Amino acid sequence: MEYKGIKSIAEIPKQGNARGQEPAAPSNALALPGPESSRDQEKGVSQNALVVGPSLQSRGKNEGGVPGKSTAVIPASSSSSSRNFSTSAIIERIPSRWPRPEWHAPWKNYRVISGHLGWVRSIAFDPSNTWFCTGSADRTIKIWDVASGRLKYTLTGHIEQIRGLAVSQRHTYMFSAGDDKQVKCWDLEQNKVIRSYHGHLSGVYCLALHPTIDLLLTGGRDSVCRVWDIRTKMQAFALAGHDNTVCSVFTRPTDPQVVTGSHDSTIKFWDLRYGKTMTTLTHHKKSVRALARHPTEHSFASASAENIKKFSLPRGEFLHNMLSQQKTIINAMAINEDGVMVTGGDNGSLWFWDWKSGHNFQQAQTIVQPGSLDSEAAIYAASFDLTGSRLITCEADKTIKMWKQDENATPETHPVNFKPPKDIRRF
Amino acid sequence: MVVPLYLQREGFMPRKVDDFGDGGAFPEIHIAQYPLDMGKNRSAKPGLKILPVSVDAHGNVAYDAIVRQDENSNKIVYSQHKDIIPKILKNEEGEDDMDEDEELQKEIEQTTQETKAALEKVVKVRLSAAQPKNVPQHNSESKYIKYKPSQQSAAFNSGANERIIRMVEMPVDPLEPPKFKHKRVPRASGSPPVPVMHSPPRPVTVKDQQDWKILPCISNWKNPKGYTIPLDKRLATDGRGLQDVQINDNFAKLSEALYVAEQKAREAVAMRSKVQKEMMMKEKERKEQELRALAQKARSLRTGTAVAPPPSSMATPMDDMDTGGDYDTVRERQNDAPPKESREDREGRLKRDKVRDEWRRKRERERRLEAKDAAMGKKSKIARDRDRDISEKIALGGADVGNGKGGGEVMYDQRLFNQEKGLDSGFATDDQCQEPVGPNNSSCWERFNRGSYTTTLTRPLKRKPLTRA
Repeated sequence: MEYKGIKSIAEIPKQGNARGQEPAAPSNALALPGPESSRDQEKGVSQNALVVGPSLQSRGKNEGGVPGKSTAVIPASSSSSSRNFSTSAIIERIPSRWPRPEWHAPWKNYRVISGHLGWVRSIAFDPSNTWFCTGSADRTIKIWDVASGRLKYTLTGHIEQIRGLAVSQRHTYMFSAGDDKQVKCWDLEQNKVIRSYHGHLSGVYCLALHPTIDLLLTGGRDSVCRVWDIRTKMQAFALAGHDNTVCSVFTRPTDPQVVTGSHDSTIKFWDLRYGKTMTTLTHHKKSVRALARHPTEHSFASASAENIKKFSLPRGEFLHNMLSQQKTIINAMAINEDGVMVTGGDNGSLWFWDWKSGHNFQQAQTIVQPGSLDSEAAIYAASFDLTGSRLITCEADKTIKMWKQDENATPETHPVNFKPPKDIRRF
Repeated sequence: MVVPLYLQREGFMPRKVDDFGDGGAFPEIHIAQYPLDMGKNRSAKPGLKILPVSVDAHGNVAYDAIVRQDENSNKIVYSQHKDIIPKILKNEEGEDDMDEDEELQKEIEQTTQETKAALEKVVKVRLSAAQPKNVPQHNSESKYIKYKPSQQSAAFNSGANERIIRMVEMPVDPLEPPKFKHKRVPRASGSPPVPVMHSPPRPVTVKDQQDWKILPCISNWKNPKGYTIPLDKRLATDGRGLQDVQINDNFAKLSEALYVAEQKAREAVAMRSKVQKEMMMKEKERKEQELRALAQKARSLRTGTAVAPPPSSMATPMDDMDTGGDYDTVRERQNDAPPKESREDREGRLKRDKVRDEWRRKRERERRLEAKDAAMGKKSKIARDRDRDISEKIALGGADVGNGKGGGEVMYDQRLFNQEKGLDSGFATDDQCQEPVGPNNSSCWERFNRGSYTTTLTRPLKRKPLTRA
């Protein structure tokens, strides 16, 4: 069975309708892989559709009804003659179509860097992968060497916590934004602030750089995401539409170029040509504190306190939830090119997920450095380095922890215990 | 248009003014009717419309047309159940990759160009607004305005009816940068609401609600409106009920140790005093024995030898009349013991007896005289003072106050001293008087004087009133 990538949701074959059934059939077609597959086997047609996840049960050619309910209605039509009906099993068991997770080696903490005097709130990597910078609640930005973990520079200039950092890929600039409404552009050759972007009315919580255009995007407590022209320091747009603080933002080279998540639990896609919203996704119940874009696929994940959801990108269709719930406020999320996603929570829990299947393969808990209280274990920022082999987390006990995959682990020593989800009800 | 007759109007829907003919609304047709356009709400916005029920391409009723109105028509809006159902996206890695990549690149470039162009336009407008090229010419000619105020009298404007005002434009520095960085922009109306794609939030359990209950803040320092707040609310945020107060065992141990030590001390003191008393008794006894021995010796010396000084230890007859008798008897006994008595002894004895008799007679005489006087009514000063009541003594001023408060003959009622209440005590605040008055206690004063005089008076009755915290 070959499945092609989707182009649009409207192309789902309405096979249910081909038999003259009720309008609810398109959703049935999505929800039921079983009967469709059997039908396809008979017809020999390859589907060009989204594969649906859970093996919700076979009601197939019957009178529709509510998807997802397993009933004892057994299809009476002859096309299902290839299946056996066992009298003991009222419910047919069809193997779930949910993709099996890849095996990933577990991650372990191999280095702890302490040096900051306050919570470490943000991190950004240099495009050459030799150093990274962290912004902290002690109003300084420290630049560290990746290989050794030693401090290279400390930059001062902010008056309050530094909540967002970004290093430009096309110029030798670093951008920082903080709770003091200041957005600064640092020249890395002179280690000085050369530009300031004035206009935010309250603290700035997130910062992102556009990959192709010289644009800086900042979102903050005034519920507006501001788009700045880097060179002229002018504010090009104020993307207004959210009702509450904008706490996460990322950018893409194509439409939608800006995606923001906010404390009003919505995610908005923006059209940068007009400064208007393209889509609003209201799938979350609590504030969306972290967004992460997959480096190669056209999809992204959004994290909120009740769930982590995956969406596909040009149109923002909801794909699925992650298969476990971390049950804490998730502050940071990062994705690897190998398909490892990591989420860091407010209680110090660091969970590692397989991107494709949504399976959580490791649940780590940070250990606070001696001298800190046990409750000071929040993770505020996490980032993979550019190769994706090292993870760096920034925490509330004022340390920076570096993680790498355990080399000695094998699929035999750390088996994957995966159970495909039976009944997805967590909307 | 002919209006159908009565009872023949089945299915007739009058919607236009002509449908009514020259009459009014039809009561048997149950729709909203506006004959002559009367009663229509014309003040409503012209954009208000009722969306008709529409059907999409496949014949399904489009219930989300209301969400895709106006601005949302060119946006992506998710409103179907299928937008909630989980799906898996599967990418195929195949020969299409190269093409896709190229296409992607082209798309990226195109998007970049378009966006850049749009942004540059916007930024240029803003930049040029900040740097004006054309300086607006302001005319320096002054305008004159004749102003006639509405209030005209001799008091305003010193009686003049109108004023002439000259208006000149203030000169502006053309190269001065804009003074204000923040421009007030009216908030653009938000985009129309979008369907919510999640289940309503779970209802809060009682336990959760109680866990997150936050008590109102009542300051210990400020109370600007002067509210009267009960004490338990004032202390509610202290956290007093949250901790279990655990008293250390050492308190109990300390009090026990003190008790034991006190007992021991008492025992020790009692023992010591007993021992001391015994010692003193022994000493006394010893001394007495010595004295007796001495006396004996002296007497024996006196009787035994002729020359012996009369021991001065012979008691004079002047002291202690009452025990004189005793002494006599003792002496008699002692006289019996020695067989011989010297002449000096006997003479002394007789002399002493004589003196004693004289004194006795004198006393009797005095008593007889006193008795005679008393029978008559004449009292001597001493007798009079002895027989006086204490109140008479106080009245005469002869009472012995002693050392001020209590002691001496005069004893003051302690309740009179050290009173802080004064008039604040009000009337009848005496707790003792709150007992029911019965046959046996008819008045406070009697009850008060029932018991021992000293115990009730000398116990200080200090009762401090409750002070407000």
